[in-house]
Amino acid sequence: MADTFVTVVPTGKHRSAPRRSSALRDRLRSIPFLLPAVALVGIMLLVPFVATVYQSLTDDDGFTSSFIGLENYVRLFRDPMFGQSVLNTIMWTVGTLVLPVGIGLLVAVFTSQMKGGRWVRLAFVLPYALSGTATAVIWGFILRGDGALNQAIAFFGGTPAASGWLIEWPTNTIVMILANTWQATGVAVILFLVGLQAIPEETVEAATLDGASGMRMFASIIVPQLRPVTVVVIGMSIANSLRVFDMIWLLTKGGPGGSSETLAVSMYRETFILSDYGYGAAVAVILSIIVVGVSWAYLRQQFKAK
Amino acid sequence: MRRNRRTINRIGAVGAALALTIGLAACTQGSSSGGSDQDGKTVTLNGERADFEHGYELAGEALKEITGYQLEGRNVPSTENYQQIVRSSLKTNSTTDIVKWWNGYRLQELARTGGLADLTEAWDKAVDEGWVNPDTKDSFSYDGKVYGLPMYKSYWVMFYNKTVFDEVGIAPPTTWEEFESNNEKLKEADVTPLFATQEAGWTSLIWFEELVSKIDPEFYQDLMEGDASYTDPVAREAMELWSDMASKGWFTSPDTAWDNEPSLFAAGSVAQVPMGTWRNGLFAESLEASDYGTFMLPTVHEGVKPSIVVESGVISVAEKAPNAEGAKAVMENWLNPDVQQPWADEIKDTSANPMVATDDPVLMSTLEQVQAAEPMELVRYWEAGPPALVETGVQYLGAFMADPSPENIDPTLQKLQDLADTEWAEWEDAE
Repeated sequence: MADTFVTVVPTGKHRSAPRRSSALRDRLRSIPFLLPAVALVGIMLLVPFVATVYQSLTDDDGFTSSFIGLENYVRLFRDPMFGQSVLNTIMWTVGTLVLPVGIGLLVAVFTSQMKGGRWVRLAFVLPYALSGTATAVIWGFILRGDGALNQAIAFFGGTPAASGWLIEWPTNTIVMILANTWQATGVAVILFLVGLQAIPEETVEAATLDGASGMRMFASIIVPQLRPVTVVVIGMSIANSLRVFDMIWLLTKGGPGGSSETLAVSMYRETFILSDYGYGAAVAVILSIIVVGVSWAYLRQQFKAK
Repeated sequence: MRRNRRTINRIGAVGAALALTIGLAACTQGSSSGGSDQDGKTVTLNGERADFEHGYELAGEALKEITGYQLEGRNVPSTENYQQIVRSSLKTNSTTDIVKWWNGYRLQELARTGGLADLTEAWDKAVDEGWVNPDTKDSFSYDGKVYGLPMYKSYWVMFYNKTVFDEVGIAPPTTWEEFESNNEKLKEADVTPLFATQEAGWTSLIWFEELVSKIDPEFYQDLMEGDASYTDPVAREAMELWSDMASKGWFTSPDTAWDNEPSLFAAGSVAQVPMGTWRNGLFAESLEASDYGTFMLPTVHEGVKPSIVVESGVISVAEKAPNAEGAKAVMENWLNPDVQQPWADEIKDTSANPMVATDDPVLMSTLEQVQAAEPMELVRYWEAGPPALVETGVQYLGAFMADPSPENIDPTLQKLQDLADTEWAEWEDAE
């Protein structure tokens, strides 16, 4: 079979009159190509979102439903559990921003030059291959009152805290954030490594010639050049922390007494445990507004700064 | 040559796509909630008890002989997920024909949504045959119609590890003082005296209901019906007792995995487990019948009427059951002694059919004790009130288990009472 070659020849400047009509034609022509993607996003994301917003204005209990206006939202803002849930969500967001991102950056930077760094890295990256559920089950074995951590503390002669790790707030939320860090650091390490490899050697060399090293090199040369990757890593971390569910549900079910609940867990509990589908939908809408709002504000600010 | 390779590639791609399509199609058939078979001779049943699966098979074989319909059991291991699946699938045609559920308010809640079929005919037949105690009708009814048939009748008793009791030199208690001194001796022997956890969510209700009902069973009933308040002295006394027992270190850690309960009990790390006899089948898997027994928890004060918490799981038929005819035939014969005998023997719990005896020694001794004491039968907390009240109530009780300090008693009881006020109003609104 003979292959055919098409040579594209630059055609020079367009004349102004046909340009407008051809631009329009181009746009029209692009519609069929856009349709599948638009339809997919529309059907899979926008329609359910509109349906959820409508559901949040009803007293849907899974079987019957009638329109009740903003009552669910009024109830939501009066509910003390909702306040706790927002507080925990903020703790998760701050925790996931500082820990997996910070540790990920440090691990990537230190191990990229280190001899045998690949093996050290592996220890951080491997847990990322586990599912959230499996991670939660493993940490459950470790953290429960009769779990491995307390047994280890007792073995080395210590007295395990009587209150346990998963029982009291804020300890339960903090240990779950740490457990999540163990799993989530891997992806940050990988992304930062890619970012590090993309830094041109020339800039590092130039900085060395200028006498920069150690902290100075890290803060003034490496970090600024990792910026595009950092935007992605932080953006992902924000979204992940706001929708964290599996870890909490398997370790504490949001309890005891809702003390470790986040918005995603509240949404699930209200909808599927209490069968208050309308109220659950209201939590979902608030959560979506927060996730979209925060992501939008963050990305906008980042692109502006650029 | 090249063309050949391309053709082969193309065939490969088409083959892969086909395989994927078939795979996906197979997935859509694999739903755990729905579907009926082709020949119409199988009735599907969904439940949340993995340990019942063999029981379903045995009952199904007996039912097949009587009705010609085979029972096919399915199982969703988590109670929460299970409820969610039933609620969402009952509205559709992809529900199983029969669903396992709970009696009391839980059944009423589901029945009033219109998702369940009327079983009054099957109930009346069972009553005529003498297969069920007609006095229990209310706890399976909504609005005068029966919507569920009892799966078993479980008594809530204290299971104890005989080996541990012998080692420590104690006997099952007959008074509260003996119960307390037993616990002290067990604690001294480095055995956790009592199992308790809030890990599974609902399990936080166990000690609350046991202590309240052992102080005053009538108050317990009033409290459940919304006629008494959580801030009344009896509820307070129960919480104080609970707090005191916790401070003495008699309970397992409140985050102990619920699934570990049978193994902790079998190993003797925990000496006593307050539990419904529906868990007997699991205990029997790892313990010989001679190694463990049951006793009725004594009343806290002398002269209080003995009481026992009773619970019946139910099976109900979906209004939209794909095999409605088969489901009807199965329900009409569910309480038949020929079906109940193999079923009760397998799950090692009491049948709701009074004609069916048990051969399990532990269960036999439990029934003898119950008959001798003639206790007041109380509905379990889980089924005794509007589900939304119970579901949030167990959260508050779970939070109390996490912090069982005396200072936490009043706030917890106040929260429970506020909740009861709201949820009872909601429940009555929805009527």
